[in-house]
Amino acid sequence: MKSVEQTREGKVSILEVRDVRKYYGGIHALDGLSMDIKKGEVHCVLGPNGAGKSTFFKTLIGTERPTSGRIIYNGADITRLPAFRRVGLGLSVKFQNLRLFGDLTVGQNLFIALRRTHRVADIAEQTEVLLSRIHLLGAENRLMRQLSHGEQQRVAIAMSLATQPQLILLDEPTAGLSVEETRLVADIIANVNRHGVTVVVIEHDMDFIRSLNGHVSVLHYGRLFAQGSFDEIAANDDVRRIYLGAA
Amino acid sequence: MGGERSLACGRGIGLNGPQTLGNSAFFWVVWAIGLALMIALPLLASRYQIINASNILISSILAMSLCLIWGYGGILSLGQASFYCIGGYAYGIAGINLIQSSGNTELAILAGIIVPVGFAAVLGAMMFYSRLQGVYVAILTLVVSLLLGLFMRQTADPFYAIGKAAFGGMNGLKPAGAGDPGVPPLTFRFAEYSWVFDGRGIGFYWLTLAIVVLVYLGLRWLVNSSFGYKLIACREDLDRTETMGYDIRLIQLTVFCLSAAIAGLSGALYTAWGAYIHPDGFSVAPNILVVIWVVVGGRKDLTSVVISTMLLSWIALELAPYGEVSLLIQGLILVVAMLIAPDGIVAQFGAFIGRMIARKPRIAPNSWKEKIA
Repeated sequence: MKSVEQTREGKVSILEVRDVRKYYGGIHALDGLSMDIKKGEVHCVLGPNGAGKSTFFKTLIGTERPTSGRIIYNGADITRLPAFRRVGLGLSVKFQNLRLFGDLTVGQNLFIALRRTHRVADIAEQTEVLLSRIHLLGAENRLMRQLSHGEQQRVAIAMSLATQPQLILLDEPTAGLSVEETRLVADIIANVNRHGVTVVVIEHDMDFIRSLNGHVSVLHYGRLFAQGSFDEIAANDDVRRIYLGAA
Repeated sequence: MGGERSLACGRGIGLNGPQTLGNSAFFWVVWAIGLALMIALPLLASRYQIINASNILISSILAMSLCLIWGYGGILSLGQASFYCIGGYAYGIAGINLIQSSGNTELAILAGIIVPVGFAAVLGAMMFYSRLQGVYVAILTLVVSLLLGLFMRQTADPFYAIGKAAFGGMNGLKPAGAGDPGVPPLTFRFAEYSWVFDGRGIGFYWLTLAIVVLVYLGLRWLVNSSFGYKLIACREDLDRTETMGYDIRLIQLTVFCLSAAIAGLSGALYTAWGAYIHPDGFSVAPNILVVIWVVVGGRKDLTSVVISTMLLSWIALELAPYGEVSLLIQGLILVVAMLIAPDGIVAQFGAFIGRMIARKPRIAPNSWKEKIA
């Protein structure tokens, strides 16, 4: 059986990031980042705090415009496209801070997420499909802010799945979760990926990244520092050094 | 079946839903009693009080327009009174020009709605398509309102006239020539029948009440519809709403125009009520007054806003004879209300009543038997 890295070579890129820079005044959050995301893969993005991971996601989804550089999605340049058009093309995001509608119920949150692509009559059924995918069947009438943090994380993932994405960006989907819940999220991601959705994940939890068994990119000071399989990255002394803060 | 399923999701149907307080049968019974009392008001009150009540009803339409855009859409417009005035001027100008030839004010009312919508469409497109948000929208709408007021104050010269209507500067809208008609009362004509609703009359009061009810029910339906959910999503988190694939600029522009239409309608009614419109309405005080009505009631609920606008306007009228002391007392009411109920005094009271009613079944006499069983 071929390794993830061997099969990766021949695959088509769904997303190409070309020399993207994002400057906030004197701060260079992204400083010439280039990266390929292959169609159908699970791609983990690592990096110490301040490496530019979240800014990277924001420029991909379009809530931040890069200072320079190009973002190509399915062969088309989307660098100047507003976020809602990118979502229409099949991109989707789960933000690091979950940004759910706390005063509404789970069902109402999903209603908002589903309404753009579904008729009202179909939404109840779709809600059930999504809730079963995140193992929260029967939770539609619960108030969002009364859910536990782990449940909220899963609903946030369901919200980003509701727009029927081809490529989903998950910013720290296991932050603050127990071991059990983390395994649940890994299952959800594997399941989503099996359905043909490309998944890009920002994570810190090494066990979780290993369990995803995908391609790993390491960001440092807004650039691609290293990439490869999990084992290659784990064995990379330079990566260890930047994580320990010695670089 | 579809309806039942969407109720199961807690999304609500028609006029009821989670975006409005008061969805129970009890609420609608109280609502109907309140409405019946207001219909019967001309039997109980003096002519002078009815004339004032008509004005209060007009104010509540204006308040609902701000409740829609700010309470539900999250866009604080500090220039809501300017749409009211634009609607008022448009009604007056069209009315003065058309009343003699057409014998009705139907087009004038339409002008009172369409002109502010056109104005809002241009202003809104510039603001929302350049992604202006929050305090910048508030400042810009206020500045535009002040500029319009500044301009309208300087239009005393006869040069500033449209047909038979002269802008009149500080003196307000007036006929351009000696033989030209003044601002006409609301006049409807169908075949050979004609109905005139003079602002001093009981008919005008009932007509305005009917419009208040229609706007209220229409907005209740809207905020509980799919569009209402998108609106609330925009209020809570613009970026998140956009990353669910919604064009937030279009949603914001739509609600901005709709809100201008409602404010324009109330302005047209105001001009018809007093046969008069002047540029003071563009200044800071009227713009802030609308915000105060909405804040004290509870900006996230239509019913609360209507009730608070009526109560505050009535208190202001009652206190008017006391001059400056009345302003102090009104100020005090506002400060106390905002301190004890930051989410709106009427909305919080309504939520309290709702909780009391919801608690009832738990102390139902037979509940302990079920527990044992």
